[in-house]
Amino acid sequence: MPNKVLVVDDEAQVGELLTELLKKERYAVKCVTSGEEAVEVISSEDFNIVLLDIKLSGISGIETLEKIRAIKPEQIVIMITGFGYDERLISKSKELGCCGYISKNMPIREIVENFRLFAKTAKKKAAEK
Amino acid sequence: MSPFFSKETEKLLSKLVEDANIVFLYLNTNGNVAICNKKVADIAGKTKEDIVGKHWLHVLYHDIDTAIKQQMFKAVLDDSITYKRSNNFEGVIVDANNAERFISWSITPIIGESGAVEGILFIGNDITALKERELPLRKIDDTLKNIFTSIKEYALYVINLDGNITYYGMGSEMLFGWKKNDIIFKHAGVLHAKDNANSDLPFILEQVKKSGEFELETTLVKKDGQSFPVILTASKFLDTEGKTTGYIFMAKDVTERKKMEYQIFQSEKLAAIGQLAAGMAHEVNNPLFVISGRLEVLLGQKRLAVKVKESLEVMSQQADRIRRLVDRMLKFSRQAPLRLEPININDVIENVLPLLSYQKLTSAKIDVEKELLKDLPLIKGDLNQLQEVFVNLFVNAYQSMASGGKLTIKTSNYQGNYAQVTISDTGCGIPQQSLKNLFMPFFSTKKEGTGLGLSICYNIIKSHNGSVDIETQVNKGTTFIIRLPFAKSEKGGGSAQ
Repeated sequence: MPNKVLVVDDEAQVGELLTELLKKERYAVKCVTSGEEAVEVISSEDFNIVLLDIKLSGISGIETLEKIRAIKPEQIVIMITGFGYDERLISKSKELGCCGYISKNMPIREIVENFRLFAKTAKKKAAEK
Repeated sequence: MSPFFSKETEKLLSKLVEDANIVFLYLNTNGNVAICNKKVADIAGKTKEDIVGKHWLHVLYHDIDTAIKQQMFKAVLDDSITYKRSNNFEGVIVDANNAERFISWSITPIIGESGAVEGILFIGNDITALKERELPLRKIDDTLKNIFTSIKEYALYVINLDGNITYYGMGSEMLFGWKKNDIIFKHAGVLHAKDNANSDLPFILEQVKKSGEFELETTLVKKDGQSFPVILTASKFLDTEGKTTGYIFMAKDVTERKKMEYQIFQSEKLAAIGQLAAGMAHEVNNPLFVISGRLEVLLGQKRLAVKVKESLEVMSQQADRIRRLVDRMLKFSRQAPLRLEPININDVIENVLPLLSYQKLTSAKIDVEKELLKDLPLIKGDLNQLQEVFVNLFVNAYQSMASGGKLTIKTSNYQGNYAQVTISDTGCGIPQQSLKNLFMPFFSTKKEGTGLGLSICYNIIKSHNGSVDIETQVNKGTTFIIRLPFAKSEKGGGSAQ
């Protein structure tokens, strides 16, 4: 099965960039621009990983995460944010079972590497279950 | 007896004398009592028969030795006898209960037909009750005098019309540093700053003349030339006729209040800037991410012209610079909750110090001296954040000693409530004009500085309910004093448990 990733970011250019960066890493990428859309797509399609922006213009990233959990409790979700490390949001996301937290305020290479690392760890954990 | 009065009148007169509420006493020239009335007997607590024939001293002073008062009485008596004149005076006698009584005396020498003094008539009015009513007032007067001389928070001084100091209270010595003897009768101009038009003595006096009283916030000058902020009240000093004979000044030192106001102002300003920075950082992050990402994608392409590649690399580097700045701004404004744990501040310092040797801060030789108080009670703090504070302060200290010096780190117990860390360097010091901006974000005197280090330190210490103070002298060095409250009910350091 190819590594399917759903990118959720309300800024089209950010979504496009993430898509391009991940495609270069040989992921199959789909991109949506709102939490609502993400929930809709996830309920009809399976993704290995969801890369979810924490700040969305409609329902927030945290709410979207809650809704995803309701549909697919085992879904691997990695949060991405422009907020830097906001402890409150990190702990909330962790509670909701997100497997990683990436800041857009990191060098691009590190962002991609962190994504790969989180994805690998999460998959390994899922396999162990 | 007397040919002037009828028998009835004489009888009435003796009754009047006997019953009158006055002290009536007639002495012969030896000083022995010839006649006295009931009032005298009452006061002396003796019968009239016991009194008549006795010396006035035994009657009025009850054999009690109150030498000065007796002498005064005797002097007036002698005066009346010698110069054959009446005298009015107030004197104290002692009654049957050994209590002092104030009597307003009228003393009249009685001259016989031969022209010689035959006897002395004392008529006295007991004014003890009146005097007692005045007593509290006198006490208030004394108390006021005590207050004025012992007040330390206020400096009270009075000048005459020439501007010379005529009264200089205790508080003044404390506040100005001038001893009373060194400044009394000197011109008050020495206490008033000449370079500050507001503090100028002629200006203040002009205002007082206009309105009788004048209050202002200004600065005064200490003996050592240092000026300090005060609230100064000046008013006319009037004599009993209401004529101005000088001016009273009362100065309250408001250095501490000013400091506090400044700190509040500073922390409010910092909080506002923090919010602004956070908002901006968020907004910058997304576009910056797109720019950096696109550059990365472009740089990943093969067969780029050398010129293009070089330009892309420069852009990438500059974008990275913005990214780091935004990162610092986010740190500055971070609202991360503190992860509080019991911490020995000595450990924090010991953890941080070795980090300095890894960074090539300076090639100059710097001696580090530690005086860490053993058994310092624990504080409650966020270890990571506090480490960041001390790294920042130590790095600053190192950098201020470009040509070498000494870094002294001391911990102590401040008033039983705070762990106090003093970090002293022998470096370049901080000029006065930089001092007020020291904790402002983006304020830096360093070439490479972002100006966020100290503002982050300040925020962290504030969030720990602590305080930061600075003492600095240009070219001598700087001392940072950090105070962090001890954890409540968890006193006792590691070994004391």
